[in-house]
Amino acid sequence: MRFETMTDAIGNTPLVRIDPAVHGLRNIDLYAKMELLNPFGSLKDRAAWNMVRPLLTQAAERGDTVVELSSGNTAKALAVIAGMHGLAFKSVTNRMKVAEIKDLLLLLGAEIDELPGQAECLDPTDTDDPLTRMYHRLAGSGGGYLHTDQYFNELNVEAHLSGTGPEIVKDLDGRAPDYFIACVGTAGSSTGVAAALRQHNPGVHVVGLVAHKSDFIPGIRTIDEVHEVGLFDPGVYDTVATITADDAIDGLLTLVRRCGTLAGPTGGGAYQGAVRHLRAIDAELTERRTAVFIVCDRVESYMSYLRERRPELFGRPARRNSTLTLTDADVMQAATMDVVQAQRWVAERRGLVVDLRSPFAYQALHIDGSINIVDEIFAELLHGGLPFGSSQPVLLVCPVGEKSARYAALLSRMGHTDVRSLDGGIIAWRDAGAELVCD
Amino acid sequence: MPVAPRLRSGVELPLYLSPRIAPTLRSALNESALLTQLSDALGSPLGVILPQQLADNVAAFRAVFSDHRLGGQVYYAHKANRSSALVRELAATDAGIDVASLAELQHALGAGFVPQRIMATGPKNQEFLWLAARTGVTVSADSVGELVELATLVTEWALPPVRVMTRLSGFISSGVQLSSRRSRFGVSAFAVSQVLDVIEKHSDALDLVGVAFHLDSIGLPEKTVALEGCLAALDECRRRGLRPWSVDIGGGFGVNYLADGAQWEQYTSALTEAVLGKRAPLTWNGHGYGLRAEAGHIRGSLNLYPAHRPVSGPAYLDRLLRATAPEQRRPLGTLLLDNMYDLHVEPGRALLDQCGVVLASVLEVRDEANGDTVVRLDCNARDVSLEEHGVLMDPVVVHRTAPAKPGPAGVYLFGNLCLEADLITRRKVFLPSRPRPGDLLAFVNTAGYLMDFSATQALRQPVGRKVAMYHDDGAWRWCLDEQYWPVHRRAETA
Ligand SMILES: Cc1ncc(COP(=O)(O)O)c(C=O)c1O
Ligand SMILES: Cc1ncc(COP(=O)(O)O)c(C=O)c1O
Repeated sequence: MRFETMTDAIGNTPLVRIDPAVHGLRNIDLYAKMELLNPFGSLKDRAAWNMVRPLLTQAAERGDTVVELSSGNTAKALAVIAGMHGLAFKSVTNRMKVAEIKDLLLLLGAEIDELPGQAECLDPTDTDDPLTRMYHRLAGSGGGYLHTDQYFNELNVEAHLSGTGPEIVKDLDGRAPDYFIACVGTAGSSTGVAAALRQHNPGVHVVGLVAHKSDFIPGIRTIDEVHEVGLFDPGVYDTVATITADDAIDGLLTLVRRCGTLAGPTGGGAYQGAVRHLRAIDAELTERRTAVFIVCDRVESYMSYLRERRPELFGRPARRNSTLTLTDADVMQAATMDVVQAQRWVAERRGLVVDLRSPFAYQALHIDGSINIVDEIFAELLHGGLPFGSSQPVLLVCPVGEKSARYAALLSRMGHTDVRSLDGGIIAWRDAGAELVCD
Repeated sequence: MPVAPRLRSGVELPLYLSPRIAPTLRSALNESALLTQLSDALGSPLGVILPQQLADNVAAFRAVFSDHRLGGQVYYAHKANRSSALVRELAATDAGIDVASLAELQHALGAGFVPQRIMATGPKNQEFLWLAARTGVTVSADSVGELVELATLVTEWALPPVRVMTRLSGFISSGVQLSSRRSRFGVSAFAVSQVLDVIEKHSDALDLVGVAFHLDSIGLPEKTVALEGCLAALDECRRRGLRPWSVDIGGGFGVNYLADGAQWEQYTSALTEAVLGKRAPLTWNGHGYGLRAEAGHIRGSLNLYPAHRPVSGPAYLDRLLRATAPEQRRPLGTLLLDNMYDLHVEPGRALLDQCGVVLASVLEVRDEANGDTVVRLDCNARDVSLEEHGVLMDPVVVHRTAPAKPGPAGVYLFGNLCLEADLITRRKVFLPSRPRPGDLLAFVNTAGYLMDFSATQALRQPVGRKVAMYHDDGAWRWCLDEQYWPVHRRAETA
């Protein structure tokens, strides 16, 4: 395969059979449409490219900024495509919740505009939704924008009607599957694929999956929000069902661990939703059937999402020399020094004073002669061992004397013989009127 | 799971939005004989204040301060309720008060607050500024102009220097641009140096003790940016040799009004379906609370207070203090402590959680030809301003005698103004039992903004009276709100 440009690599993704030993369906062949193999990482590459392509020449001449209401894959694809054509990209969002995607967009040079949160005191005249607000902004700016408008743009549907859908039919030897299952975000992919499949077999049963109301699954809508989507037409779906974040993660784990498919949460959700829907049907079947679901994108962008919801998946061995392993009794035994003693100790320069507070706070005011090692870095150093001699006199200082006592206890346990904690911390020092300096 | 239709053969399942009711409020509501007597004697509507609950709410905020080892003050935003009982009870605690008008300042001083515990905020006229300066309360200034006006007053009247805070707004974030709604108040965070010029010029009149913000938003990320912006402003003060030591993060901690999140989800889903015409309307004239249908799609956005808010009040403050500062990458609470700064908060709504009820008496219950049931109340939408504040929450029925017809009733609540729009709420309210004339509807947990913030005497209808109910000697007692003081007159013990 030889291409002139990366956008030529969009589409023509493989259709891969899921091992029946994994899904357990006896009469249904289940296939995954591997949209995660698109060059920029997701199904949305198709829609993004299809929506921008006709407007590129004009936009490049005028130096327009590409703009879209997206916090995920569409933004990613548009940012890459805009970059390839010398255009700027701006993502407007009120739901940028996945840290990795935010970082990736910034890395790609995108500008991210986050809309304000809901007012605490209600303003009954404010009925703007994010989309309306964005339209106002674009109108107010007097041009200069190429707005792809994915929630209302028919070219989003068309990308799948002429691409994704026919590819599935071709790979099934010219037949449409009996069941098609997809998650619904803008509804572009499910609407386009469903229409293409029905051209071959009007009886295709289409299942649209949306997130359970109180759940957040990045990339798709909840059962209420889906009605806000311009492309969403309930008539397209024979069944609209909900999936939870837990379903999505369970499915994701099956796909990544057993099927060689590094799917993101909506791929997992589509698998789980498909198997759940098909299991009941499978039991009644006497002849073979075919089902297809979509794996929209890849798992790597969702590590923080997964870590937050399933911390146990990331269990790491405990690190040595950690304050977490101290008991209250250990901390009680830490040697301390009150402000009066400490003032003398410091004046006589009897040892090293380590201030564990943040650099800004230290720079503003600190004990003369102290050095600053912020607690996080100090903790990191201690994992590797003592950062000074074990008999070097040390006085640890923190805001109220609690953290410093913990570190003093830890240092003693590590074999340090001359460490103390400033009792009451730097706040007690200040309140006693002892001297604080800034450089 | 497939989405099940919620209508079964035309039978309307009641869509309750049951209020969250804490034990003290529950116990007061159980006094139904006393409540009906009070309403008969003092008229409808009647505001019932539970001042003692306020002390518990202050303690809950304090607990967050001590968890984070932070010093500073909890200032009650007086604007949330006009009650004297609340202010006097608060004076007996160690909390402070945020006053936003001349009359509120007089009220606080009269209730026993010493000036050190008072913070003057909001737009101020000259009289308000003068009394603030004369008594020595802390003035939270909205603009450079206000600082200059204050300094002039102090100098002209030869008053001692006044402690001032400067309110900032228009903070910017790095990386992701976080927009906030434009605010009428505060000095742009870029222009701190202008403020410091004024402070330095008038150093004999103004003593800068800190910086402040108040964002009208429930969004944590915005507040995170604002709080870190205040830390940056304080750094600038220190660079110029000034030593302010406090940050005031305003109010907006919110209240969780509903007992059950599932009810809220069910209701808002049903409302969406009703707006789309997929089920019978749930509101008067098909009002959509900000949602509208266009060609089969929902447009607009739900313009309601998020009535089910599990993380609200003190828990919201805790969440904010645990949030990581975007630039310094350390929890905000830790940064405040590292710098030895005091933290001040100005909760209004959150401090009045569970502190009051509005009682309204039922004048008429009638079934209309189209099948709707209407309950006409002796109060109007300004007396219980649920609708204006977008809070959807059911009232509790206080029956005089056992209900005639047990079983739920879906009703519209009409007010007493001759005004088409005077519905207590435009929502059809489901009550567990049908009220009768003379029964009371208790609108619970309405002390914060929903009781008297908007009340007027339009049509010469009276603004409701207020009583304080308090627990003493193991029993509920009451007095007029203006008669309440935290020292309770005890019955003689023989
Ligand atoms: C991760 C993910 N899954 C599924 C979808 C749904 O695709 P569509 O927008 O075509 O409905 C999206 C769309 O944004 C997505 O980002
Ligand atoms: C400056 C200031 N502080 C505090 C508050 C109280 O806010 P809340 O009742 O939402 O806590 C307000 C409300 O308008 C305010 O303007």
